[in-house]
Amino acid sequence: MKEEKTEKNGSQGVLYVILRVLTVITAAMIFFPIANPARVCDVISNKISLFTSAISYNSLLPSPYRIIKSGQMDEMVIVTAYIGALVALIGIILMAAGACCSLGNLRLQKLGLKFSIIGSIIDIAGCAVCYVAYLMVQQGPENFLDKIGPRFPTGVLVYGGIAAVVLIASIILMVIMPKPEKGMRFEMESKFKLFLMFLPFAFLAFLFCYLPLYGWRYAFFDYKSGGTLSMDNFVGMKWFTYLFTNKMVRSDVINVMKNTLGISGLNVITSWLPMVFAVFLCEMGSMKFRRFVQAFTTIPNFISWVLVYAVALSIFSTDGFINTFAIQAGLMTQDDAQSYLMGDHLTWIKMWGWGTWKGIGWSAIIYIAGISGIDQSLYEAATVDGAGRFQKIRHITLPGLLPTFFVLLLMAIAGILSNGLDQYLVFENADNHDHVNVLDLYVYNLLGEDQIPLSTVVGMFKSVISIVLLFMANGASKLLRGESII
Amino acid sequence: MAKTAQEKIDAKKEKAYYKKHKKMYRTKPGDVVFNIFNYLFFGLFTLTCIFPFYYLFINTISENELVKRGMVNFYPMTGSAESAHLGISFSNYIAITEVGDLGQAFIVTIARTILGTALMVLASAFVGYIATKQEMWHRKFFYRFLVITMYFNAGLIPWYLNMDLLGLTNNFLAYIIPMIVQPYNIILVKTYIESIPAELEESAFIDGASYMVVFRKLIWPLSRPILATIAIFGAVGHWNSMQDSLLLMQGNSSLFTLQHRLYNYLNESSNLGALMSQGVSGQAAQNAMEQALNSKVIKYTVAMVSVIPIFCVYPFMQRYFEKGIMLGAVKG
Repeated sequence: MKEEKTEKNGSQGVLYVILRVLTVITAAMIFFPIANPARVCDVISNKISLFTSAISYNSLLPSPYRIIKSGQMDEMVIVTAYIGALVALIGIILMAAGACCSLGNLRLQKLGLKFSIIGSIIDIAGCAVCYVAYLMVQQGPENFLDKIGPRFPTGVLVYGGIAAVVLIASIILMVIMPKPEKGMRFEMESKFKLFLMFLPFAFLAFLFCYLPLYGWRYAFFDYKSGGTLSMDNFVGMKWFTYLFTNKMVRSDVINVMKNTLGISGLNVITSWLPMVFAVFLCEMGSMKFRRFVQAFTTIPNFISWVLVYAVALSIFSTDGFINTFAIQAGLMTQDDAQSYLMGDHLTWIKMWGWGTWKGIGWSAIIYIAGISGIDQSLYEAATVDGAGRFQKIRHITLPGLLPTFFVLLLMAIAGILSNGLDQYLVFENADNHDHVNVLDLYVYNLLGEDQIPLSTVVGMFKSVISIVLLFMANGASKLLRGESII
Repeated sequence: MAKTAQEKIDAKKEKAYYKKHKKMYRTKPGDVVFNIFNYLFFGLFTLTCIFPFYYLFINTISENELVKRGMVNFYPMTGSAESAHLGISFSNYIAITEVGDLGQAFIVTIARTILGTALMVLASAFVGYIATKQEMWHRKFFYRFLVITMYFNAGLIPWYLNMDLLGLTNNFLAYIIPMIVQPYNIILVKTYIESIPAELEESAFIDGASYMVVFRKLIWPLSRPILATIAIFGAVGHWNSMQDSLLLMQGNSSLFTLQHRLYNYLNESSNLGALMSQGVSGQAAQNAMEQALNSKVIKYTVAMVSVIPIFCVYPFMQRYFEKGIMLGAVKG
């Protein structure tokens, strides 16, 4: 009796593992373009996933669109494929709900099985509709068939097969599982309850942080926007070598790296400024004035770069404050008026200056908090020993702030390749382009020039180097302070 | 009140001490010089932070003719060029209501700020709470799965292509959904919730409360300070963001954010600036120049309108600064 029960639980467990694993696989697969059941012919893009086909009809429309307009292909095919994808998506969502319920008690499990059965049937129906779309393509105008290229959607088999297995598993489970007693409530162990509550957010993180990594595949194709990815334009490492061998691109990249490292370098070299700012701010006796300074020097940090640029224009442009004031004061004539934002004079320093102006007050706050955390008795003792202001700063305040400074310095070094886009985008103009063209701006501009693979490659290098730098900074911190920073 | 004998002795001792070490506590001339320079420096630096906004503002509330002549430098002026005097006119603020697309951009930005911030705060609080629960199935793995996304980035292009595949281009939801899960904020909330005494929660569970009830009735109200902090920073982030609008909304200009519109306006003028600096003459360029000068104040006004909300919430933000920046130092 006892043996039988455990055996039964064993087979149940196996079936449930199959059901859950398969459901998770389908749920993840709908975001990948491989085996999209809605792709019933070659003219439908092979970059779109089942999810994309199901939520956006437009994405399914073949390129060029005139294939439909000129009657080479019946639009009903696309409509059918779209309906198929949508139905399959609904089925998969139901299957996912079923799998979630399977973590509960007997009654919840039974309900979940119902979901699974209905969901997998709907999923199979959706795949069938896609297959119908495929048959419709085949029956289309014969002389255009070559061009349209009917293609048996392997996705139909993949999704349909998985759904069939899930269906069979859930039917068997439905049969072998005892009926829940009357009055049994829907319940679930708290560890699974918590897990299910967490799941949607992990899913969002997957969609927006992990899924983009799949876009790195564009680096290996000769791709233009609107085109397709296929073995025909697979170029392997071409773009990686292109980056180093093509003279034009290489000189661009060298210039970009110079700018990136130059401006970041200035920032790293001057990263002690906020600390000094905080120290001297705290040397002021009047608390009121300190609060006032702190309040207003922090404001620029909360203003977007576009607004900083608007402010810059109002002060430094040809008809800005500096010029008009100087003219009115008789310091210069109308003809001398010039825009200090154009030109390419000391561009790095200017960019550094704007960044510092915007950020110093904010960066100083952490040091101010640090100073107020230093034991006051140390200062009293130093005063008694006859230490002057600067001696106290040198021997008490600065050593107290050094750990914080060290962490922030390491973080700054780890982020040396990430200057951010906004600042350079707004301050860029025809004159200073060569000196503000940092990595982020370069990648952005490549997108505008439809150089998707190349900019993906540059982005990949940036991401990988950044993460290596971060780990190195972390290692350095562990080595020197015995504490990690991430 | 009579002092005790001991206190009297203490006070006497203290007095004697200060008398003995009088020299040490006296302000030295060096200190005076130092103070003067210190106050001067901070005063001037603060001025550079305030004045640009003040200058922008007085230009928008002055007579446009005077602004064009460059007469408005320190205080708002109205009247004709000959008889300019101190005064205020809000005609520009009325004028920008007629600048097409601006109202739309304003609505879009407000909507994304409110909706996006609300959802982000709710999600951060909820996930932060769940992440404190040791009994969650594979808690460590899933929490790390979420938090580690802070440290890597696929890059601009893969991100764009991904958003395209998820149907989030030219779609208002693109402003909201990707911003819901913010690992950094989740860490902040989690750390804060961990500092709430566990006994409170335990007693609620003993009374039969579910996780949802505990979250709603206990955790949410108790973690309000940290939620206010992330709400404010989140809202400012939403208000200031331009990159997503720039990249994702290329096909639908009615979804542009305020910052994006402002960027476009300002860019028009900088192109004109480029024309002027190259010394291009001719009727077309001159007309364009004229127009740019006329619309200059309008641009300032738009900038002012997008700055004002930040200034309005700023006083409330200040007391959360320290909390926000200090808790950031705590690891997940």
